[in-house]
Amino acid sequence: MKKILLHLCTAGAVLLASLVTATAADSKLVVAMLPKSKGNAYFISCKVGADKAAKELGIQLLFDGPTDSNAAKQNEIVENWITLGVDVIAVAAENKEGISTALRKAQKAGIKVLTFDADAMTDARSFFVNQATPEGIGQGLMDEAARLTNSEGEFAMIVASLTASNQREWQQHIEARLKEKYPKMKLVAVRPCDDLKDKAQSEATALLSANPKLKLIMAICSPGVPGAAEAVKQAGLTGKVKVMGLGLPNENKRYVHAGVTDSIILWNTGDLGYLAIYAGVALAKDELKQGAKTFKAGSLGTFTIAGDNILLGKPFIFNKANIDQFDF
Amino acid sequence: MSVSPGNKNPRDWKAILTRHEMLLLYVLIAEWLFFYFAGTTINRRGAVVGFGTLDRQFDILRHSCEIGLLALALTPVIITAGIDLSIGSLLGLCAILFGKLWHDGGLPISVAAGLTLVLGALAGGLNATLITALRLPPLIVTLGTYSLFRGLAEAITHGAITYTDFPASFLFVGQERWLGLPTQAWIFFGVALGVGLLVHRTTFGRAFRTIGLAPEGARYAGLPVGRRLALVYVLAGLIAAIAAIIYTARLGQAKADAGTGYELFAITAVVLGGTSIFGGTGTVHGTLLGVAAIAVLKNGLACLPVVMRMNAAEEMSGLLTGALLLVALTASVLPKILSRFRARHHAPAP
Repeated sequence: MKKILLHLCTAGAVLLASLVTATAADSKLVVAMLPKSKGNAYFISCKVGADKAAKELGIQLLFDGPTDSNAAKQNEIVENWITLGVDVIAVAAENKEGISTALRKAQKAGIKVLTFDADAMTDARSFFVNQATPEGIGQGLMDEAARLTNSEGEFAMIVASLTASNQREWQQHIEARLKEKYPKMKLVAVRPCDDLKDKAQSEATALLSANPKLKLIMAICSPGVPGAAEAVKQAGLTGKVKVMGLGLPNENKRYVHAGVTDSIILWNTGDLGYLAIYAGVALAKDELKQGAKTFKAGSLGTFTIAGDNILLGKPFIFNKANIDQFDF
Repeated sequence: MSVSPGNKNPRDWKAILTRHEMLLLYVLIAEWLFFYFAGTTINRRGAVVGFGTLDRQFDILRHSCEIGLLALALTPVIITAGIDLSIGSLLGLCAILFGKLWHDGGLPISVAAGLTLVLGALAGGLNATLITALRLPPLIVTLGTYSLFRGLAEAITHGAITYTDFPASFLFVGQERWLGLPTQAWIFFGVALGVGLLVHRTTFGRAFRTIGLAPEGARYAGLPVGRRLALVYVLAGLIAAIAAIIYTARLGQAKADAGTGYELFAITAVVLGGTSIFGGTGTVHGTLLGVAAIAVLKNGLACLPVVMRMNAAEEMSGLLTGALLLVALTASVLPKILSRFRARHHAPAP
């Protein structure tokens, strides 16, 4: 019995010693990245870019988050990082106000804080890496629609609802771009789908029969794109009426490969993670300060800063050629 | 269980030192020392960081208050051979009610908090009524209210509203220190003392154990079984409401998903603390040790460089908490098995 105990003790001591020496070797800058939930494919694709940036910069990247979208867990993880004394915390906030109390505490402890994907309260972080401005999204969608129709003919839109503020804003930018650059194109209808795929499909079917000259359907809510694609496919109009819009690659892959949907517009999530890490490290090294107008992030080049928002810039277009490289 | 103080022969000392609670205390100390040496480092800026900082110790205390309170609420319940699966959901419901009373009802924080405690006790009363008046099994009743309370919380907020912007004087309860300790720790210790006295120093406590061992026997012995059972469930509701207020103050927000899954952590802590899930035995100090052992494990793991590099603190803590529980349960039956084994081998030859 005693012998076993002795063995256990020595084993424990050896393990302990190895752990201590392992830590002594680490004196790299530590950047901690907190996604809304770490199992979400969207954030995993952000991590791919973040890992790349961490490698290029020679820093240690911690990537941890709740296994589900849990605001309380986010706070606990931030508090954990505060006492671990990390250098930078980059957060995609699940709950704006809730996370901010923990982030302010981190700032007080001398940790640089920035947000990406979803912002916290402005006083709780120094910069927000903004993946898409309403203007960028609106212009990107309209330009792609024009490219697909050779800038002429009728098109219709499917939106989530006619009142939702982000949808309204995007729609205004789309219409402004249309008026300014594409006089030969005509927006014939805007229909709400209540963020439901079934409703989007029935609305699209109605649009197709009511507008025989329709050349394209643009959906600006994510269930809208596969919904419209299904309608076009069932009406046997594949290729004749183009489908495109704002959405996630995975739910549209099927239609893109079948040639029903031409392009999906979103931002490049890998670039988002990459930019967030570069900005975080620059903050920690005092190379990025309030009031800066531009920021250079490694191989991605230079980004514009508007106020305290670092803009990821132009939306990314997913199509048949590249959609399989993305999994979210 | 009891050791008469006058009798000081070595056998009794051995009995005390190998009691479940003492074993758990050794585990806790070992855990703490391990993390102290393995989880403390000096960071790039030359500051001591990780497990061995006072801030970290206070964080451990702050993070374990709510689950600790729920575990305290569950200890008498489990001693009576009952269970309350609804307290995590009740925490969520109380947090929402508290936020609504204050934000939409325009009540002062103190009044809203007081009302929340009453509502928590009433919700506990609902469990108590169903269990005692209708003689339904606690597992089924609280499984029902588990969904009911969470559902209510989600219905009230439509799953979308989050109450925030609480005044700083209220956030003080969850985020600042008072007399050297995190403010909520004082409330936690107060409740622990109260429940400890109730379970160990009053006839109520004795009644709980009797009911847990033999409810029919207790009834024949003239104990008011229904009323005693009602008391433990109402108390559980009240303590869940206290935990809800502390939770809200710690995070500065009240949301319908507050306390999701906390009931299972609390049950783990209680069982780890030596309370029999079949009722009849259990101690409040055992529960406190159980809560501490889990909290230290969870927080300590997040400090280990190896775990940090794997970014797997969450998964590792779940895994090791489970392992700890199984080891503790095995260890507590080990002496019995050993003595049986010995008895067989040392049996005189026929």
